[in-house]
Amino acid sequence: MHILIVDDDPLAAELSAAILQAAGHRTLVAEQALDALEQLEANPDLDLVVSDMHMPLMNGLELFLEVRAHDYPCRFILLTGDAPGDLQARQPRIDGCLLKDHSLEDSLPRLVADFAPKAGPKVASGGQPA
Amino acid sequence: MAIDRSKFIGRFVEEAREHLARLDRGLADLTQNPGRVSQTEIDALFRSAHTIKGSARMLRLTPICDTAHALEDLLGALRGRQLQLDEHLGALVQQGLDAIANAVEQLDRQPDPDALPPPDGELCAALSAAAKGADPGPPAGQPGSQSSEQARERATEQAMTPQPDPAPTATATATQAAATTTTEPSRPTGTEPSASGLSGSDSLRVRIDQLDGLLRLMGEIIAHHERLRQHPDEARRLARLAEPGITPACEAFARQLRDDVQTQDGLIRELHDRALALRMLPLSMLFEPAARNLRELARSLGKTVRCTIKGDSIALDRQLIDQLAEPLLHLLRNAVDHGLEPPDERLAAGKPANGWVRLEARRDGRWVDITISDDGRGIDLARVRDKAIRKGLLSAEQAATASDSEIVDLIFTPGFSTTALITDISGRGVGMDVVKSSVLDRLRGSIQVDNRPGQGTRFRLRLPLSLAMTRVLLIEAGGERLGFLAQHVAEILRVSRENLLEVAERRAVILRNEFVPVMSLAELLDPGFATTPAAAPAATPEVLLVILRVGQEKLALEVDALQDERDLVVKPVPEHLRHLHLISGFVSSGALAVVSLLQAPALLDLAARARGQSVRAGAKAAAEAGERASRLLVVDDSLNTREIEKDVLEAQGYRVTLAEDGIDGLHKAMRDPFDAVLTDVEMPRMDGFTLTERLRALDAYQATPIIIVTSREKEEDRQRGLRVGADAYIVKGDFDQSNLIATLRALLG
Repeated sequence: MHILIVDDDPLAAELSAAILQAAGHRTLVAEQALDALEQLEANPDLDLVVSDMHMPLMNGLELFLEVRAHDYPCRFILLTGDAPGDLQARQPRIDGCLLKDHSLEDSLPRLVADFAPKAGPKVASGGQPA
Repeated sequence: MAIDRSKFIGRFVEEAREHLARLDRGLADLTQNPGRVSQTEIDALFRSAHTIKGSARMLRLTPICDTAHALEDLLGALRGRQLQLDEHLGALVQQGLDAIANAVEQLDRQPDPDALPPPDGELCAALSAAAKGADPGPPAGQPGSQSSEQARERATEQAMTPQPDPAPTATATATQAAATTTTEPSRPTGTEPSASGLSGSDSLRVRIDQLDGLLRLMGEIIAHHERLRQHPDEARRLARLAEPGITPACEAFARQLRDDVQTQDGLIRELHDRALALRMLPLSMLFEPAARNLRELARSLGKTVRCTIKGDSIALDRQLIDQLAEPLLHLLRNAVDHGLEPPDERLAAGKPANGWVRLEARRDGRWVDITISDDGRGIDLARVRDKAIRKGLLSAEQAATASDSEIVDLIFTPGFSTTALITDISGRGVGMDVVKSSVLDRLRGSIQVDNRPGQGTRFRLRLPLSLAMTRVLLIEAGGERLGFLAQHVAEILRVSRENLLEVAERRAVILRNEFVPVMSLAELLDPGFATTPAAAPAATPEVLLVILRVGQEKLALEVDALQDERDLVVKPVPEHLRHLHLISGFVSSGALAVVSLLQAPALLDLAARARGQSVRAGAKAAAEAGERASRLLVVDDSLNTREIEKDVLEAQGYRVTLAEDGIDGLHKAMRDPFDAVLTDVEMPRMDGFTLTERLRALDAYQATPIIIVTSREKEEDRQRGLRVGADAYIVKGDFDQSNLIATLRALLG
């Protein structure tokens, strides 16, 4: 898959990219939501957006709404430090919300692997943050 | 499918340091003028804490994550203006930052997440509690955890979206009120610069070892280029020998070669400077962690300290930054451990309970001056004296006659430490002697200490900005080519031989208002060195002197010729030659020639030993001649002058005590009776005229001979000296030791 990672923390973005590359995917990185929208416009072959929730200017949820408003045909996963379950509940159309901690190393590739042509929304079983 | 986390740990350490530096600065701004800090800046601080937390969580750095999490809560409450930052909160935030910073540094030393110590539970609890103090508390009927979860999420979201500054509340402080009256146009929020301001496209990470390799290569190129510089001269010489038919062509070629070499020279230097700039890092890399370390240490010792930093944007070569860390840390620890008094002792001394330590850097051309000063108790001279005697560094008599600055300098002696009890803090491993030797040898710099008893201590370091190229003076002496590091060369002068003074069997030269001993460099290096007849003193009416200065000491070295002064690549002394203390490094100059650079501090010691032997011999002879040892007080602010006068007088069998200015002299004169006093005129704190007057007002000194020795030649000064009560007035310019001795003998009867 060709995946766009959106995160304002370059280190976190690289980590996500490394996890996905290890699972055999190609990745691009955007530092914030506006940049992400430009990348989506420029790369129609992007299959998936993996976005951080908390970013300056436009958060992950708002980005999701923008992506849908533009009708980009890609899946969307949101990463958050707190309570992914709540976020998923607030926006059921999102393809997955994952807890942004070390468990990503397993949960992210697993969820992405599920994105065969079908598959509905998924919620990761990440616990509450400590 | 494990990804390699270790690579990311290194990245995390780097980025966390940047965020921590930003947080440290932001906190300082917030505590100093809370009303002036814009909402945008507070948002940025919150985001930094949030980012540290997020990355730490992804890398399973739980202790860092937990502390950052609690810190984020507190910053969130501050940015929501539910809390006002007061001293207590400021200290708490600082403690949180320090705790994270320590964990980050630990991670840097040992990139293993599992090796991190657990988070400080008390600290995290205190941070969270402080944050909750601002929380309205969970509404009834909802589980608290979830509500605080949502509260955090709301806070985070608010932080991530720019908001207009809230208007000052009714509880606005005076500074805030003042700040709102100074018309600062508030920017409409729509025009905020977008994004985080970081753009990855205009910078590039380069491995340090590749950079080091590049700079090593640059050094080789420069060394090789030195050889190339000889070629144009050689070409000109050949052109003159060429057959007449091809002379013009050869000369044209030689000129062309000279121009090309000069152009190349400029380009190579610029290339080197630019390559070097790639490896320069700001001093803040050192200062910020050092200040943190200092505060932690103060806390653990029950002292409070304010650490102010200035000039930390100055960039130094990374090599220096690395080497400077240890000495700097030691000096700061020393300031907190030995310098600053506990709060009760400070209050008793009429000082504020909080001590301060200042860490300042100032750029001075190719140098940087770093000062570490504290307002503590200063160095206790009496204790240093006693200890020096106990340790056998000085005899009781030497200790009594040594000047204050000489006593202070004893702290740099190996094995000397002023705490009665070796504390775990400053007494560990590295001592002041190591600080001094690393500054002098490794950093090619200098260190000085200013002591104000009861008011504090100040250490001054002077360092080159880079070690790659060093300014070197090349000279010739005794048929050898030798060099000095330029930082030790105070000046170069030519004086006619008859202007040299003969003092205590030694030669000296007068520089402005001080005596500086003169020695032949060739003889100093090789006592058996006999001047060749051609270079016999009589043959040259003038001597060429290189004046070396280390700290306050000066030495004039007679050399045969100056060769050049240039920036060169200095090669360190290889391991098997390290025992040669006189040599500090090598430079290659021209065709395959290697020139030894002489270590100025070691030369000064060598000269002092050589002088000391002759003085002791003189003193012994005089003592055997059965002269009564009169006690003299010599007051002069120039160390060299004091030393020389002391040599002259001791050689005559007098016992000499030194003082470095009028006040020092007066105190010493009141403490012990002296048979005569010799004083300079121009001195800091109290001049010689005033000293003479004050001495004459004391019963014990009404009839004591007082001799003024000065470079002031004006008749009116002489008149004034005699008017205030001096018995004799000797001008340094016509100083002749027999004249001084004769005067003394006449006066002492």
